[in-house]
Amino acid sequence: MPAVQETVDQVRRIDIDQYKYGFETVIEVDKAPKGLSEDIIRFISAKKQEPEWMLEWRLDAYRRWLTMEEPTWARVEYPKIDFNDLYYYAAPKGTSGPTSIEDVDPELLRVYEKLGIPLREQEILAGVKTSRVAVDAVFDSVSVVTTFKKELQKAGVIFMSISEAIREHPDLIKQYLGSVVSTTDNYYATLNAAVFTDGSFVFVPKGVRCPMELSTYFRINEKNTGQFERTLIIAEEGAYVSYLEGCTAPQRDENQLHAAVVELVALDDAEIKYSTVQNWYPGDAQGKGGIYNFVTKRGDCRGHRSKISWTQVETGSAITWKYPSCILRGDESRGEFYSIAVSNGHQQIDSGTKMIHLGKNTSSRIISKGISAGKSNNTYRGQVSIHRRAENARNFTNCDSLLIGDRCGAHTVPYIDVKNASAQIEHEATTSKISEDQKFYAMQRGIPEEEAIALIVNGFVKDVIQELPMEFAVEAQKLIGISLEGSVG
Amino acid sequence: MNMLTTNPPAARLTAAETALVEAFSAQIGELPGNGAVIGTRDRLLDDLKKSGLPTRRIEAWHYTDLKNLLRAIPEAQATAATEAVAPLVDGATVLSVLQGVADSRAAVDGVDIASLKDRLVDGTAAAGLTALDKDDAIGRINGSFVRDGYVLNFPAQAEIAAPIELQARHAGGQIHTRFPVSFGEGSKATVIERHQAVTEDAALVSSISDIVLEEGAEITWIILQQQGLADTHLGQIRVKLGKDAKLRLFVINAGGKLVRQELRIEVVGEGAELTLRGVNLLGGESHTDVTLVLGHNVPHTNSTETFRNVVFDRASGVFQGMIRVAPDAQKTDAKMACNTLLLSDEADFAAKPELEIFADDVICGHGATVTDISKTHLFYLMARGVPENKARAMLVNAFVAEIVEELEEEKLVEALEDIVSAWLEKHA
Repeated sequence: MPAVQETVDQVRRIDIDQYKYGFETVIEVDKAPKGLSEDIIRFISAKKQEPEWMLEWRLDAYRRWLTMEEPTWARVEYPKIDFNDLYYYAAPKGTSGPTSIEDVDPELLRVYEKLGIPLREQEILAGVKTSRVAVDAVFDSVSVVTTFKKELQKAGVIFMSISEAIREHPDLIKQYLGSVVSTTDNYYATLNAAVFTDGSFVFVPKGVRCPMELSTYFRINEKNTGQFERTLIIAEEGAYVSYLEGCTAPQRDENQLHAAVVELVALDDAEIKYSTVQNWYPGDAQGKGGIYNFVTKRGDCRGHRSKISWTQVETGSAITWKYPSCILRGDESRGEFYSIAVSNGHQQIDSGTKMIHLGKNTSSRIISKGISAGKSNNTYRGQVSIHRRAENARNFTNCDSLLIGDRCGAHTVPYIDVKNASAQIEHEATTSKISEDQKFYAMQRGIPEEEAIALIVNGFVKDVIQELPMEFAVEAQKLIGISLEGSVG
Repeated sequence: MNMLTTNPPAARLTAAETALVEAFSAQIGELPGNGAVIGTRDRLLDDLKKSGLPTRRIEAWHYTDLKNLLRAIPEAQATAATEAVAPLVDGATVLSVLQGVADSRAAVDGVDIASLKDRLVDGTAAAGLTALDKDDAIGRINGSFVRDGYVLNFPAQAEIAAPIELQARHAGGQIHTRFPVSFGEGSKATVIERHQAVTEDAALVSSISDIVLEEGAEITWIILQQQGLADTHLGQIRVKLGKDAKLRLFVINAGGKLVRQELRIEVVGEGAELTLRGVNLLGGESHTDVTLVLGHNVPHTNSTETFRNVVFDRASGVFQGMIRVAPDAQKTDAKMACNTLLLSDEADFAAKPELEIFADDVICGHGATVTDISKTHLFYLMARGVPENKARAMLVNAFVAEIVEELEEEKLVEALEDIVSAWLEKHA
């Protein structure tokens, strides 16, 4: 069982808080003054050299946000956030925007090396062709570099930071930005619209299959900084793209805010596969510190036969509030949601999905695996909604929860709304602990308890891991092992 | 801070809310009760006035926005003529509540029966008039207005062979009844709680059954709701299940325009067992909401819940089922299923089966389905020469009958099957 042993060993090497990305990098930064006001938004917009209409868009959102109230329906508890006690813009000095790899501060490159993110375009390594992934690296508020841009351009794929896209492709931005998650959607999405600083933009034109995996790596480094990124992915008719997202942050005593918005648009016959490995700092064993992760992710299957698939592995963050959704507008469109949510320590997760069936013959599939350990609370909250005209809609939902330890909680809150008689909806959920029989079976064969649990847990989440691209699947499996360390016995 | 956290100004009351408040001032003089009861009524109505009727913003009422759905309150009608009818099964003892008044003098050997009115007057029923939580609108309405009902005490080891039928019939108006029942240690009984409209005149009905099962009691409780097409029925059953107690609870909804049936069950004794079955027959323009909150509070308890819903016409149905397992309630085994046949494109159904689990050594699960009649089943029957409409009726009937048959007592099963068939014939 080398893979499992490796996980256990790796866990042992890590300090008590088990978070290996907790280092902080001392780097010179350019910061906006603390607080939130129209001036700060003007500052951000100016920094990004945005056109006037973009600034107006942001200010509109900000004014709307001032009238909104923080949602309280989720099963998460946290002290009130003082939105004026945050920095809304922090950028490493000298990186006003993405540049070529040669111009990037070597200190920054070391950060990403340490995190294991390849920013150098290595094509051939020791004669072996490695799988290639184009990376957009976002550090605090800015994108520091985007790799493989030229090669992608040849295929017609636009992959760049969203700030760059606002300047270079204003027509696409005007057409699509806010068309899936409007600026009035919810409290955090509206805040994001006002103050978002960077993120990725992907445009795959008609008939193009993106030649490589695209990925963005988000890193929060600065103290008291909120990260507000915005990602927009558009797949035109018949296009295909697979996009990966990873996140880490330093270990700190205070809580940091992360409120992102992701919008996906799939036109006729297009397919978007969006995978996330979220490993923000979860706080220490006493529940101190950690990231507040309030994210709005939504995909719009606008075209017929389009498909959007969300896969997420959530192991980090003190609080997760996240419901990647699909609007199945096109006929025969399909939405998928595969999720593993692991909570340990004092983490609180309230996550799930929404499948909104509007078109005819649409289908959706939800597989959610929640694992709670320690004193954590893990909630699946999902909605399947079949509208009046959505003939022959089909949904299958399966949410399983695994409890490790008797101080944690696992909750399932599905909402099923059906307004068309031809729909076929199935929902099932189970909650249990690791069975003694399974554990005994493994241990009796000489596998230590911790490893036996890792083995069983890996089996429990296999359905979802299978959906991840190779590079992520290995990392995800290790992460789950690490996140659960200390939860046994 | 740019967020203001001031309390919103007191909301204006809707027509129905105003009518409730006015009805209370008009009736308070004649509502039975001693000082303690009157005080409690005042407080509950005050809470209701402050919070208003619940809206969809309140999670527990998400699918039944009572503030919007309950438009008007019918006038109180004290003198409408109704009379008791034959019980559902032969040999049952009928305790009738006609137009909200417990008028029966029937006695059951070995059971202590009193009218709730008497208990309100002497104040012994005061403690039971409560709202279970801040969202318990039914508790508030019923506690404010309740006039009568029966208080039953089954002494320890009492075994009552013949069913007892609590027969609540009305001819419109405002009807508020309540049935506090305690089943002593090792007692055995079957109780049928039957709500029926005699006329088409609109009624606002609230009814709360508050039942306690002591150690080892084995009880079958059946709620049969057959209100009229214009009626609002706000029903609630509160259950406490003691050690090794066994409760079979059957809930059948086959009427009403706006129905909310709450099942609030707390399992508080080890070894207790709950078998909960529900059938909801929904048609016309009705809205029916069955909301279950089931708490497994101690180790080693079991429950199974199965609900079957059939939705015709422009009806809308709701099922909310929450199973809560408290910390330390290890070895809980709870299984819930909610199956719905949605038979009209103008009908809708919403299901929210919830699990809230704080103990690790448990087996809990829920399943929910919403579909039309299976085409293969239909084909099977039609291939054998059964015409389509008949085949459909057979399948719908079988879907529901499966639940009713679990009651086992032949006479009861037959009586309920007749009610189901008659209903389906009228609506299919």
